[in-house]
Amino acid sequence: MKGRSKLEGYSLAMICCGVALAVAWPIDAPSSCFLLAVTVSGLFGGLGPGLLSVAFSSIAFEYFFLRRTFSIATEPATYLRFAVFLAAALLITGLMETKRRVEESRSRTEEALRQSQADLERISRLTTMGELTASLAHEVNQPIAAAVTDGNTCLRWLARDQPDVEEARQAASRVVQDATRASDIVNRIRSLFQKGAPQRELVDVNEVIREMVVLLRSEATRHSMSLRTQLEVDIPRVMGDRVQLQQVLMNLMMNSIDAMKDVDGTRELDVKSRRGENEELVVSVSDTGPGLPAQQADQIFNAFFTTKPHGTGMGLRISRSIVESHGGRLWVTDNPPRGASFHLTLPTKIAAHD
Amino acid sequence: MGIQGEAKLVAIVDDDDLIRSALQGMLKSVGLPSQAFASAEEFLASGQQQLTACLIADIRMPGMSGLELQARLNAEHCRIPTIFITAHGDTRMRMQALMAGAVDFMAKPFDDGVLIESVRAALEN
Repeated sequence: MKGRSKLEGYSLAMICCGVALAVAWPIDAPSSCFLLAVTVSGLFGGLGPGLLSVAFSSIAFEYFFLRRTFSIATEPATYLRFAVFLAAALLITGLMETKRRVEESRSRTEEALRQSQADLERISRLTTMGELTASLAHEVNQPIAAAVTDGNTCLRWLARDQPDVEEARQAASRVVQDATRASDIVNRIRSLFQKGAPQRELVDVNEVIREMVVLLRSEATRHSMSLRTQLEVDIPRVMGDRVQLQQVLMNLMMNSIDAMKDVDGTRELDVKSRRGENEELVVSVSDTGPGLPAQQADQIFNAFFTTKPHGTGMGLRISRSIVESHGGRLWVTDNPPRGASFHLTLPTKIAAHD
Repeated sequence: MGIQGEAKLVAIVDDDDLIRSALQGMLKSVGLPSQAFASAEEFLASGQQQLTACLIADIRMPGMSGLELQARLNAEHCRIPTIFITAHGDTRMRMQALMAGAVDFMAKPFDDGVLIESVRAALEN
């Protein structure tokens, strides 16, 4: 592609000079026309075509205009005029090249920034997954333990003097069910580790919530917390990146779990989804933890704000930026009598149509 | 109130559906009828306590834990031989359970044979 655009650039330079020559003659404004040609060549073609047009313009300027107009007697003036023209042409070419380089550098910087943000999101995801290792391992081991029991049961039915094939069949199909569950959980975990540019697709947010509930169920149980969902049926789908939305939900739910760890009394984590106004989807994650720090309600979304000894402080910030990049909002309210509720809105496909 | 001579029912209390059906299947294959409950609350609400000759329970569950269930049954003078199977067990929990009268305390994944023997022993007493 670079080769092709180079060829195009040089062709452009030649065309510009040709046009300038044709136009300069009748209107008798050679300097202006040729300098214009140099400007266009440098702006759209780059340094090479720019210098080529300087060369052509200078030669044409000298041959067609200076030689004819001035006699030998005024040679110094001729040279001076030529020199000024050449200087102007080179200056313009230099400026065009500088402009191009600055723009290229800026777009490289923007790309690097985008990449950094994606890396940060991924690291945050991996960190959370690391914290969940014990309960994820448990979550996978449960169905595997059930499979071992069901397998042994199957063998027991077959070991009888009169094997009960029907019972053995039922036990064997339970083994399949158990292993499928384990595999399912591994797949969900794997999808959270994936690297890649954000993809936009139609996402069922209720499904994402259910997936996160499966992954976090053990963690909640481990800390004697109840985890309940109240999901409105048939909510419209959202155009967004599935992995990013999983990350937001995981972050909010983990925060709630962390908040309730040292609480005496009820430990309830509730996740609700419903249709909101303006064709939006509203998801709320509520806990019965200590609630919001006084006067700091909005500060918790700032980078590096954390109340955990080993917290990174980036979770809510990243969550908010993901929600906003999907066209939604993320905010927090109190959850009386005690606790906090995080709410997020997401535009649904219907709204995205205008 | 103790266990009636007739009562032979084994009750299973675990929040995981696959574990419940695996345990029920296992007990059926050795000829022991069982009933499964998804939570301690469900078991207490069922009124089956009097008919239960042996209880197999998980410890950590959302809501009432297995140890809390044991305490509740003891308080109601409903002493059911209880076997705990749990993924989260540690030594202290084991001591606590055994001192409160548990018959056995097993970690998941458990050995089917050992569990069956434990249940049989509990039913025989």
